[in-house]
Amino acid sequence: MNKIKKDGSTYLNPYFGGVILGTVLLLSFYISGRGLGASGAVKNSVAATVNLVAPKHVAQSAYYSQFAGGDKRPMSNWLVYEVLGVLAGAFLSGIIFNRLKLKVEHSPKISSRRRLLFTLAGGLIFGFGAQLARGCTSGAALSGMAVLSLGGYITMIAIFGTAFIAAWVLRKNWI
Amino acid sequence: MKEELFVSGRNIPNIDPYLNIWHWQIPSYLFLGGLAAGILFFAGIFTILGKDHKMTASVKIAPMIVPFVLILGLLFLFLDLKHKLYFWQLYTTIRLESPMGWGSWVLMIMTPISIIWAASYVREIFPNWDWKFQFLKSFEAWVIKHRLLIAWPMTIYAVILGIYTGILLSAFNARPLWNTSILGPLFLVSGMSTGAAVIMLFSTDHREKKIMGRIDILLIIIELFFIVHLFMGFLAGSEAQINAANLFLRGNFTAPFFAFVVILGLIFPLLLESMELKGFKIPIVIPAVLILVGGLIFRFLIVEAGQITRYLY
Repeated sequence: MNKIKKDGSTYLNPYFGGVILGTVLLLSFYISGRGLGASGAVKNSVAATVNLVAPKHVAQSAYYSQFAGGDKRPMSNWLVYEVLGVLAGAFLSGIIFNRLKLKVEHSPKISSRRRLLFTLAGGLIFGFGAQLARGCTSGAALSGMAVLSLGGYITMIAIFGTAFIAAWVLRKNWI
Repeated sequence: MKEELFVSGRNIPNIDPYLNIWHWQIPSYLFLGGLAAGILFFAGIFTILGKDHKMTASVKIAPMIVPFVLILGLLFLFLDLKHKLYFWQLYTTIRLESPMGWGSWVLMIMTPISIIWAASYVREIFPNWDWKFQFLKSFEAWVIKHRLLIAWPMTIYAVILGIYTGILLSAFNARPLWNTSILGPLFLVSGMSTGAAVIMLFSTDHREKKIMGRIDILLIIIELFFIVHLFMGFLAGSEAQINAANLFLRGNFTAPFFAFVVILGLIFPLLLESMELKGFKIPIVIPAVLILVGGLIFRFLIVEAGQITRYLY
């Protein structure tokens, strides 16, 4: 079931991984009453930081004032705790599957620097898009589809449809 | 016209309706005091057991930071005082029932011992060090010769210091969350666990790391046991104590307490250290830092929540 790589590291079977992820989502709804999310934790951390440094800006901003300022507590949020758990779980998985090392994974044809710059650019675009769409792959698509929300399906089609096109355009970075 | 004059003894700022007098200084000190007690306990006990040459980081390296840790902690205690210039009155007012008096004297004994202990190993850790004066050199020679004589009181006082960090809180009879005798042993074990974490960070010897890892696993299990019993005791207690426990079981402190202290600060490092013993390769810095951060947050939460809990109303 495990795919063994040259360096001795292993990966979980993707289908089995998907079943585990689905179970996690189910448990998340059962235990916390909320779905999974990732960008929300980042958004709340950013809002809390901006509120700490420039509370006036938060009060004036229509966007930030939704999450921070006044008596709102952006860091006291289920997603913030969930993401800490994700980090801890990913660390454990890295230990178990022998992949715990500091490295930049990239195609041998490109440099680490190029890979990191593209990752940063992609992350910026995705983070911006996730806020326009009111959620990312986990928050809008995965959790949304699990409760049969139409928005979830549209988000999923939009994310993976765009990714298909982007992957073809940027394929030289990988193959 | 009838006028009514209403006199109340309840309007006491910063004390009623809830205590608001202890800020970051006290939990930071409790953390540093526990950490110092933990390191010195291991340094003393391994010397008494005659393992001082095998447990280099515990006996020689980690105690180097203890004087600085203790002095920083004392500075925090000093900053907390309202009338700072009268701090010396803690030493002229002998009251056996005063926990602060006890703490002052324990620190008065512990700080010089920690300085002497660290100083006696300075030349071993930094070979180029020179004590300059003859009387320092002869004093060093005397200390090196009589280390065992210092190790005994150091170990005993380390335990007292570790327990004292909890007793300081549990002596507050008016605060139901603190008023439990289990806080003493709980803070002692937690302090020893943070001490073991620092020793693991300093250690370069694989064997020593493994021994400290095993001890730490045991300490974390005991600490979890104490935490369970802390809340069991509260829930079997008066209404005020049940309310105090509920701050942590279904209140404002639940999420940070269980996430940062119980899961990330105890269970997760316990899992990582157990996995390391099983042969998985884990950078020791991760569980060690988690234990330290968890211990610090634990003290902040207990001090903060304890001030909110009360018997009145």
